[in-house]
Amino acid sequence: MNGYAGKILRIDLTDRRISTIYTKDYEQWVGGHGMGSAIFWDLVKDKAVSGFDPRNIVTVMTSPLSGTLVPGASSRTEVQGIGVQSSPIEWFTRSNFGGRFAPMLKYAGWDGVVIEGKADKPVWVDIRNEDVKIKDARHLWGLDTWKAQQEIWKEVSGHGFSGWVELDSERRTTQRPAVLTVGPAGENLSRTACLIHDAGNASGQGGFGGIWGSKNLKAISVIGTGSIQIADPKGLMEARLWAQAKYSMDLKNIDASWFARFGRKRPQNRFWDPHESARLQACIGCHLGCKERSDTGYGNESTCEETAFYAGYDKAKHGGKQTSAAYIATDLLQKYGINSYEATRGLTYIRALQRMGVLGRGKRLECDLDFRKLGETEFADAFLNMIAYRKGIGDDFAEGFFRAAKRWGRLEEDLKTGILPYSYWGLPEHGYDPRAEVEWGFGSILGDRDINEHDFNFLFWWPSGAIWAGKTPQPPAEQVVKIVAEKLIPYENNPLMLDFSTDNIYSDHIAKLVAWHRHYTRFWKQSVLYCDHRWPEFINSKVPGYKGLTGEGEPRFFNVVTGKKFSFVDGMELGKKIWNLDNAIWTLQGRHRDMVHFSDYIYNVLFAGSGNYAIYYLPGREKGWWDYICVNGRHLDKAKFEEFKTRFYNLEGWDSRTGWPKKGTLESLGLKFVADELEKKRKIGV
Amino acid sequence: MGGQGNRRQGKKNELISRRDFLKFTGTVAIGAGVLSEIIWLDDAIAAIPASEGYLLVDTKKCQGCLSCMLACSLVHEGKVNLSLSRIQILQNSFAKFPDDLTMAQCRQCVEPPCVEVCPPKALHVDIKNGNVRTVDVKKCIGCKACIQACPFEPGRALWNPDKKNAMKCDLCSNAPFWIQKGGVKGKQACVEVCPLNAIQFTKKIPEQKGDTGYKVNLRGESWKKLGYSKD
Repeated sequence: MNGYAGKILRIDLTDRRISTIYTKDYEQWVGGHGMGSAIFWDLVKDKAVSGFDPRNIVTVMTSPLSGTLVPGASSRTEVQGIGVQSSPIEWFTRSNFGGRFAPMLKYAGWDGVVIEGKADKPVWVDIRNEDVKIKDARHLWGLDTWKAQQEIWKEVSGHGFSGWVELDSERRTTQRPAVLTVGPAGENLSRTACLIHDAGNASGQGGFGGIWGSKNLKAISVIGTGSIQIADPKGLMEARLWAQAKYSMDLKNIDASWFARFGRKRPQNRFWDPHESARLQACIGCHLGCKERSDTGYGNESTCEETAFYAGYDKAKHGGKQTSAAYIATDLLQKYGINSYEATRGLTYIRALQRMGVLGRGKRLECDLDFRKLGETEFADAFLNMIAYRKGIGDDFAEGFFRAAKRWGRLEEDLKTGILPYSYWGLPEHGYDPRAEVEWGFGSILGDRDINEHDFNFLFWWPSGAIWAGKTPQPPAEQVVKIVAEKLIPYENNPLMLDFSTDNIYSDHIAKLVAWHRHYTRFWKQSVLYCDHRWPEFINSKVPGYKGLTGEGEPRFFNVVTGKKFSFVDGMELGKKIWNLDNAIWTLQGRHRDMVHFSDYIYNVLFAGSGNYAIYYLPGREKGWWDYICVNGRHLDKAKFEEFKTRFYNLEGWDSRTGWPKKGTLESLGLKFVADELEKKRKIGV
Repeated sequence: MGGQGNRRQGKKNELISRRDFLKFTGTVAIGAGVLSEIIWLDDAIAAIPASEGYLLVDTKKCQGCLSCMLACSLVHEGKVNLSLSRIQILQNSFAKFPDDLTMAQCRQCVEPPCVEVCPPKALHVDIKNGNVRTVDVKKCIGCKACIQACPFEPGRALWNPDKKNAMKCDLCSNAPFWIQKGGVKGKQACVEVCPLNAIQFTKKIPEQKGDTGYKVNLRGESWKKLGYSKD
């Protein structure tokens, strides 16, 4: 099988039974999310159980491209299962991560791992090629994620990693095992706990750390020495060199990439001040890394949101100058294994409560934190430690700050004002506010989580950054939306899909944008595992006409590896199928359109900018003219959003009264077995 | 073998002396019956022409993506496999830059122990391809003497467990799964694919003593534009 290893590892922790699922049985779903949803559908009969129930499974899936030379698509692993973070329903959800895990799983001969049941004592899974053992994790339980991984490395290699490590008399590697582990937060069943791999890769959302903790699973380690078959090896090498030459950053001419996603001029993805001295670091096979490793060892491999956790407080405490506290606080997030979004938004929230005199030492919400030390390393450690170990009010924090607010009797009030910035499904708002960048909020509320899909986010960053710097954004909005719209197949050439003006945001055009986004991400990004940081690419300044590689790149790489003949649209259709399967699962979990609503503040409070993004620009039409318009000062209209939902459901072929998929829609997608199940449970759309 | 052993010990040899000499002679002794035709180093120096090509690496520039390793196995074997890559990158997520990563390319040694030790002369100097030190797989008997002989850590000669022969960097002189011409007059897959140009091909013989000949600074002025020091 080209691209695939051919087998999926199935581990029943209850019976300590190891078995195999043949990848061929799920090949129609291609990989990653598609396979994970399909396997979940088959193995979890009662889809309404809690995420902490032993009957929940966790799928850890690769794609046929994992471990190959495909740029920005060789390293990610997709994790799925019933989550424990969202509210009021623990949605079946997803969270993926980069690094070395998916490639190593493939080299070991596995397309994925399916975890079922619950072990009676802490265990870890030791995978060495085809040899799989469930081992006692007594000595690992309690260790932070960095110590646990290094302890496992020692155990697997024996004598260190300066040379070849022999797995047996014939097979050797110079590589360290790839380990995915929980920290103390997961061990203590926090709903905010995540899975950590190496120093800074995390499956952050969904609370999978707590789910593994509930299963008594500490870690999965994998080391492999095998090969991945490639359908067209010459074609893969050519495609790789083509993409790098045409679209990626050229060190001899960096400025040409003044705008690109695939070959971004500033490749590092960080919000803190740069290290004194560091290396640019990449996931396996990536053509342009976004991570770093520093000369202090602080902040290794952390990127994006987690680098924004503490830098602001650090600077405020130290006269505007950042210290190592910013880095160390992030490292603590990784070591305790706590989701950076919960920690960051949660800290914002309790700081607000502390300022109100509601929370603190001796206050109504007793909290043993010295807020005078906010900005110092010790405060961050105390805060994260109390979450990880559920100490004092940390027991509430560990439930996620939405559930904490509920326990405190403050939920309704704080969602009305928005001091609790949790806008969808009891989850922290990402930072690209639903009142502003609507495709983000709409995609999130119509699904299961903060989407964390940056596909259209450049439409905010690019013009806003220029305007904040006192410049006129180039190219102009009309030109940009035209180029992007060309690539929005099968809804191509409708620029109104990118009109973020208030008059347009509830329209059929935006419904199509949201639908395109769901389908593209479910297949190309979450099943084939093209990385969100480099894909898709609509605009690239190095290329004549500014056209990015999306549309051509995705199927080209997919086909040279697998030997299949997928078109871009084939992928979009499979994405729609997977999205429908997910909605069917949510339907069986109890979903109804009446619960599909943002938190109150989204409808009542005017958007005043998101923290550092004080003034938010997006393309839009005003009085018939395209421009980059400021979307501050608006809120969503609840009644109009209801209408939007109806438009979206109609577009997707879902019952507009309930939001449930219709029988005809499911059958036309080859999902008759899903329609039958929904019909049996009397949850089919009509 | 005693007389010749003394001769070996008497002659200063930087490369061989790094290895555990006992281990080396132990290996030789086991196959003594087969290895009667061993070429001794001092005789060899005159006989082995220098390679016309070498790989230089910048260990501070490397981003640890392993693309070089993936490309190497891809163009030689037609599939991707880190354990079948003739260049190896080792890294540690928890270590401090620049000690978090090492690059292990074959040095195409001027005095190659792997060539000297090969009993059937499978690992030989390919005079048709710029004197690259390379394995003729038709002659390889799988004794792994070359793998033992490489004085560097990790050893640059590899074992292919599927084909049961040794292999090593040939500067892509025989890379059948690439449309590009390889070898000393052509291109190398690792050099072409490295996104940051952290691997360079040169015709000039690098300093053989220590690492400074092979681990060089390839960063240049443009590197500063990424916010990093070029020193």
